[in-house]
Amino acid sequence: MSTQVKVDPAVATMGPTERVEKIKARFLATTPEICAERAKLITESYKETEGRPMSIRRAKALEKILLGMSVYIDDDELIVGNQCSMPRSAPIYPEFSCEWVEAELDRLAKRTADVFLISEDVKKTLREDVFPYWKGKTNHEIATALMKQEAIDAGNAVAYTVGNYYFNGVGHISANYGKVMSEGLNAIIAEAEAAKEKFDYADAHQMKSLHFLESTIIANKAVIAFANRFADEAERLAAAEKDAARKAELLEIARICRKVPAQPAETFREAVQAFWFVHLVIQIESNGHSISPMRFDQYCYPFYKASKDTMSDEQAQELLDLLWLKFNGLNKVRDENSTMAFAGYPMFMNIIVGGVDREGKDATNELSLMLLQCAANTKLYAPSLSIRIHEGTPDVLYLKATEVSRMGLGVPAYFNDRTIIPALLSRGLTLEDARDYGIIGCVEPQVGGKTEGWHDAAFFNMAKIVELTLNNGYDKRTDMQIGLKTGDITEMNSFDDVMAAYAKQMEYFVGLMCHSDNMVDLAHGENVPLPFLSSLVEDCIGRGKSLQEGGAIYNFSGPQGVGVANAGDALTAIKKLCFDEKVISLPELKEILDKDFEGAENIRQMLVNRAPKYGNDDDYADEIAVESANIYCREVNKYRNPRGGQFQPGLYPASANVPFGAVVGATPDGRKSGTPLADGVSPIGGADISGPTATVNSVAKLDHEVTSNGTLLNQKFHPNAVKGEEGLHNLINVTETYFKNGGFHVQYNVIDRNTLLKAQENPEDFRGLVVRVAGYSAFFTALDKSLQDDIISRTEQVF
Amino acid sequence: MNWRQKVLDFDNICDRGEGLKGLIFDIQKFAIHDGGGIRTLVFLKGCPLLCPWCSNPESLAGKPEITFVCNNCIGCGKCLEVCPIDAISQDASNGKGLIIDRDRCTLCGQCAKHCYAGAINIIGRYLSVPELMEILERDRKFYEQSNGGVTFSGGEPTAQPEFLKAALKETQRRGIHTAIETSSFVNWETYASILEHVDLVLTDIKHMDDAEHKRLTGVSNKVILDNLRNISKLGIPVKIRLPLIPGFNDSTRNLEATADFVEQLSHVQSLDILPYHRLGEMKWGQLGQGYSLAGVEALTLEGTEARIQLFRDRGLKVSIGG
Repeated sequence: MSTQVKVDPAVATMGPTERVEKIKARFLATTPEICAERAKLITESYKETEGRPMSIRRAKALEKILLGMSVYIDDDELIVGNQCSMPRSAPIYPEFSCEWVEAELDRLAKRTADVFLISEDVKKTLREDVFPYWKGKTNHEIATALMKQEAIDAGNAVAYTVGNYYFNGVGHISANYGKVMSEGLNAIIAEAEAAKEKFDYADAHQMKSLHFLESTIIANKAVIAFANRFADEAERLAAAEKDAARKAELLEIARICRKVPAQPAETFREAVQAFWFVHLVIQIESNGHSISPMRFDQYCYPFYKASKDTMSDEQAQELLDLLWLKFNGLNKVRDENSTMAFAGYPMFMNIIVGGVDREGKDATNELSLMLLQCAANTKLYAPSLSIRIHEGTPDVLYLKATEVSRMGLGVPAYFNDRTIIPALLSRGLTLEDARDYGIIGCVEPQVGGKTEGWHDAAFFNMAKIVELTLNNGYDKRTDMQIGLKTGDITEMNSFDDVMAAYAKQMEYFVGLMCHSDNMVDLAHGENVPLPFLSSLVEDCIGRGKSLQEGGAIYNFSGPQGVGVANAGDALTAIKKLCFDEKVISLPELKEILDKDFEGAENIRQMLVNRAPKYGNDDDYADEIAVESANIYCREVNKYRNPRGGQFQPGLYPASANVPFGAVVGATPDGRKSGTPLADGVSPIGGADISGPTATVNSVAKLDHEVTSNGTLLNQKFHPNAVKGEEGLHNLINVTETYFKNGGFHVQYNVIDRNTLLKAQENPEDFRGLVVRVAGYSAFFTALDKSLQDDIISRTEQVF
Repeated sequence: MNWRQKVLDFDNICDRGEGLKGLIFDIQKFAIHDGGGIRTLVFLKGCPLLCPWCSNPESLAGKPEITFVCNNCIGCGKCLEVCPIDAISQDASNGKGLIIDRDRCTLCGQCAKHCYAGAINIIGRYLSVPELMEILERDRKFYEQSNGGVTFSGGEPTAQPEFLKAALKETQRRGIHTAIETSSFVNWETYASILEHVDLVLTDIKHMDDAEHKRLTGVSNKVILDNLRNISKLGIPVKIRLPLIPGFNDSTRNLEATADFVEQLSHVQSLDILPYHRLGEMKWGQLGQGYSLAGVEALTLEGTEARIQLFRDRGLKVSIGG
């Protein structure tokens, strides 16, 4: 072991303070609402800046929002900064898309998942002052106009969805938070001023860069002014405060907000506050999710050390817990369809601890453990917490992580340095940058502060491709010939014919998906550049280019394949039963699938029980699943994006496996029409009957290095399997074996089925129950019933 | 070779074929309570004892057996159609389910083969040592990572001594830790030759009183207790397992006697208490047999703790659940 810092596990044993409990209780009692402030302010700003360069218009809009929105400081708070006029509320971002908001306005409070209250006043403001201006001007409408009709049709048939960035901001970023802490925004303004000298105003193209640099200066100054508004508010409250202790706290808040993020932080608390302002404003500016702090234990450590003599570990833990509660206060409203794919108010803000540093040495420190303790203390769904594992991960960190896993919160997620560092090297990162990776959103690796990864570029419906292959490219649900005519199944005489047709359909639809992504990408560059965020990612200032136009050092687009197990098992059943054993012909099988197994339950049982299934360490099924995934990955690898970067495949679903399943008819794996697909690279729920070691062996057969946008394996354990000291080692041993064999990511749910059933029946009694939903954690009771059912049906590993 | 493939093969089930084969009724991976680390459990079929609480009644007979799981039946009627000797009939009494005439059944496997829903199964497959090794090797990386290995259980593994010996020897030769889970009801000579290839013994003590033991299990405990004394001399590590059955062996007197005996042994790693549960009840029905412990309540954790306090008082290392 090469532990650089000897960490005493006692640093991370402090429970939540009374202050933390009080703020948490207030949070749980609050139902999210829609706030119209941002939408109203940006609409006014856009009207004021018509005709000016887009980058300047974007900066002026941010300035208008930050200076005009409500700011408040809640009782007991030490870390301040709010996103909306009310706690837990979500703003509207009309410049990205607002047709759906208008259409769904009256349903937001009535829908089945992720409910948002909305007042009549807010509705009136949006209908009168916001929506009319944006008709025909949103990024979504502009992107649509760029797309081929075939691509739009395939999207409507849900062969894939590019919905995330099509309707929203990109997010999926990690800014250079460490630089803000150590240098301050004034330094960034100075950098932009200096960069201006490099560009020639007489050159029309370079003039665009000068506009961009000007926009970053406007934006950064606005953020400093925003922080000062909190200082003003703290002073106002302090003047009226009777309690001497609270008065002193408020004055300290005021002092800190006058200093950071403009100037360098000098203490731990200043660093945390500087971080929060920057993280908050990125959210307000960008309308994305998965804005990820990443390696907080690394870039914040110098400030922890600097304050060690003047601050107790209890105080440090409390500040981190308060930051955790702040993360939970951020929110985002999505359209009803997207809510199905991203259920549970998730923001996917990923913090990762441990791993190696830029020199390859173990990076564990006190903060690594304390951040794990935050999850135990708050027991809330945000932020997403991850841990990097390498050969030298010290026991103290591994055991702490496993103890938190055992609590059943679904965190941390485990990531394998041994697979991910080489995967990133193969995508052109330097060795130092690859070692410095963190995770965006669910499972997407990148180096923070240097990358525009577009990690959630699309979800691709692999099971739909099997259905289209069996139907010669015709989609029954939309009654359209959306695919290629790859041959009638009556003419397919061997399994190779079937695979060849599947590969051709895959090639066609991956091409349409990448085209769609690139059109959305272009639209973002032209319409919604993000000056503040761009100024915090290398080398946007140096290149005089926004992040959206290719200013980052590393650029990628990462679309995800969903339903590996279904595609694999469907093809396996065809090979085994139609061609090897010839117990049913392909046309007979198709006829039964067309009728959704009506009157043929015994055949469905045959498909389920007599064909080998992925996830049981059976090479027959695993090889076909691997090949069906490889075909997808090879196709994705062929494409490049307009920012000068490469496409890279991932295999994870968020919760898209549920809505994707809803549009796929009966499949040869015995799956009934409309039911969910398998999540991530996990086996089909209930098909993994050989225990977790077999599952892990199967999943490790996939090529986790080529899928450099991430793969996701969910494992659910009964509390029995993980009890006691031995139980902790059981989890570590499963993780280690998977990782030694090339696994990428694994996460554990430790809860029993009965708990979930009870929670479904009496949601009121289980408001605090957090479960892992494929890459992030959410309140179970906030999920749609179909997703709750899906989680319940995943095989429980009981021993 | 894959255990799942093997159990889906219904042709010539009763034909042992050439060479040394063992009759196996299940193989479970990721066993974590049966001998340390992550293990694969191999269940050998056939047992000379007949304990009424047995939670694996399908393990008792030393030959393949047919089982019927009513809940899985989808009523397709295919089994009635394919049975060549009409040994299956519909259960007229409740309109759901089947009656299998097990005396006439030849275990030809036709019904199970066509029962896609998995309601009818034939339990027990003959495997050679190389076939078994292929399955065990699949999880080698887990054994190495966790200091785990392979545990041979039953049934009564020593009831197939030649196969067990060969399988243990080969497993050990491959550098995999071996354990057996046994009643120790086997003659010492045979037992000693098996133990040569065993790294850890998990063995039951069901009752200390010989008459009671005979009444409960059908066999004397004399050979069992003698064997345990002998193993103690060999120095092989042992875990003693005590199935705790309310009203059968949980009297203070018997538990005291058990403690007295265990205290005399050396190399005992722990005394594992296996509290009575009713999970086996359903399986007896699937075999078409009655359950003689019907009505006996499962033990609670508190009830178990109260009974075993006397072991703790004596300073014995006790665990619940094994």
